[in-house]
Amino acid sequence: MPLVKLEHASKNYITGEVSTPALKGIDLSIEAGRFISFVGPSGSGKTTLLNLIGCLDRPTSGKVFVADAEVSAMDRKTSAKFRGENIGFIFQNFNLIPVLTVYENVEYPLIMVQNVPPEERRRRVTEMLEKVGMAEQAHKYPAQLSGGQKQRVAVARALAPRPRLVLADEPTANLDHATAYKVIGLMHAMKKEFDTTFIFATHDQKIVGEAELIYTIEDGLITETRENAVAGGVK
Amino acid sequence: MKNIIKIAWRNLLRYTRRTLLTSSLIALGVALVIVFGGVGNSFRSEVTGILTNSNLGDLQIHKKGYLGSMDNLPLDLAIPEKGLAAIRGILDANPDVLAYSERIRFGAMVSNFAQTTGIRLTAVAPEKESRVCPALPGRIKQGDADPAGFVKPGHVVLPLTIAAGLNLKIGDDVVLVATNKEGSVNGITFKLSGVSENIMGPQGKDGYIHLDDARSLLRIEDGEITEIAVKLRDFKRLGKVYPALKQAVSALPGGKGGFETHSWEELSPFSSIAKIVTLLILVVRLVLVFIVLVSILNVMMMSVYERIGEIGTIASIGTPPSKILALFLVEGLSLGLFSGLLGCLAGAGILLLLQAVKLKFTFGAMDLVLAPAVPLAEMLLSLAVVVIISTLASLQPALKASRMEPVEALRHV
Repeated sequence: MPLVKLEHASKNYITGEVSTPALKGIDLSIEAGRFISFVGPSGSGKTTLLNLIGCLDRPTSGKVFVADAEVSAMDRKTSAKFRGENIGFIFQNFNLIPVLTVYENVEYPLIMVQNVPPEERRRRVTEMLEKVGMAEQAHKYPAQLSGGQKQRVAVARALAPRPRLVLADEPTANLDHATAYKVIGLMHAMKKEFDTTFIFATHDQKIVGEAELIYTIEDGLITETRENAVAGGVK
Repeated sequence: MKNIIKIAWRNLLRYTRRTLLTSSLIALGVALVIVFGGVGNSFRSEVTGILTNSNLGDLQIHKKGYLGSMDNLPLDLAIPEKGLAAIRGILDANPDVLAYSERIRFGAMVSNFAQTTGIRLTAVAPEKESRVCPALPGRIKQGDADPAGFVKPGHVVLPLTIAAGLNLKIGDDVVLVATNKEGSVNGITFKLSGVSENIMGPQGKDGYIHLDDARSLLRIEDGEITEIAVKLRDFKRLGKVYPALKQAVSALPGGKGGFETHSWEELSPFSSIAKIVTLLILVVRLVLVFIVLVSILNVMMMSVYERIGEIGTIASIGTPPSKILALFLVEGLSLGLFSGLLGCLAGAGILLLLQAVKLKFTFGAMDLVLAPAVPLAEMLLSLAVVVIISTLASLQPALKASRMEPVEALRHV
């Protein structure tokens, strides 16, 4: 059974009387444990597709399944619970909570979403910060970090709740190339370490090569699916 | 909850200047309520104390219909000896009654043999009157002010205005002329033994003679009187004692009409001023509610608007709507609580300062000393009002935050 499955999923954005199709009947099946990239120009529908998979949005028609659950049919409360238990998010703008320290940002989903006991919480946060190389900066606030550091903290926050799926929307768009490669490398390493499925959307052709499976999206349709045998070469 | 409180406080401190400005405004409002309440209550109790302790007593009992004709001081509406005995029985049996004083109040003419003027007289037994009105001897600014005998038989205490108007000195002779209830006129010469200061209200300018002298002057042969002034052990129990006493007294058989009991509020024009003071305190409280409502609503709406992206982030990583609601509610509540406490401290500080300074001023003919106590109940009430209004004002912005669609919130720049 695939981890993610879309059955003829479409999404139209309606502004006044104008309906703009963002996704046009996508059929997609993603197995667990993959490192996948959605590639395509701006406005092609990558983010919309990630939003549907991440149950942040509902399709206009069609169905979306994640971990055997039909997320497209969930109400707000249920989908929030489902996201908290199964999906991690990494954002283009890092989206760390500015009033919390690095440690507290990583701890946040464990307290506010999963209610993990304190001992276990401490162990997992410390472990994640060590793995992303941010243990030394644990007491700092996001404003005191560089872009690359913020994204490493975001990776730690996404992985701390042990999600089955991590969705990253343009995770390297605000980073220089060297840092972008480091972050992609880190995500790759985390995927191997925790056997988590990673799906990231990007239009940066240089980092696309790091994905094992690449879906090219154009005008709301998947136009190409490509396996990449040399994925994960970055250090 | 600990984490929600922590995040709420940090968000408040994130916009330090805005939080401090809002807090200051709310704290100022709370301090104003406390100071105004403290000073207002102090003024009210000070004046009430002067009136009840130097003239009215806490309660008065009359023949039914007397209060309606009080300006004429009617002698035909007197409490007869039999009725007086029954009322004495009720008062003696009531543990809340500290003392009572029987009075005959009447109108008379006072003359210094050259000039004559009208006067209202209260005839009393001085030792009993001093127990009911302990501040009365203190109001006698010239002459004999002994509480046990500030007015002896054959002597009169005149109010300052009349003594000055007739150019009288202590020891001078005056003639009091009065008409009794049968219409017979009588006059007796008295020696001026004291001059009392005026206080607010028609009774505040009464002269005093001994009860035995009034009986002679008015040729009253039985023991009838016109008024009984009652002093309670605890003034705060007036609200409970008054209705019970009123009921007991009105149930007495008293010939035509029976007897009536009145609290000091029904006897003094100051009670209207006291009510206005209470009303003003209420208005100031309402202003506080308005200040808190507008300030917190404004801050919380701005807070939600500025943090839409952040709300999108926490919602997308799975924070339940109920916790997002709690985050913003606690933020508003914390701001209210902090500001309320700050206001309470400021208000208490100002009142303590006023207490130390002892503000003196004259109200009517009364010299008042304002030393307002810190009103603990007022402080707790203000704090509770601020906290409740803060929470209510935060509710709408918090609901808005908790109902945001994460995907739309994340798109917000």
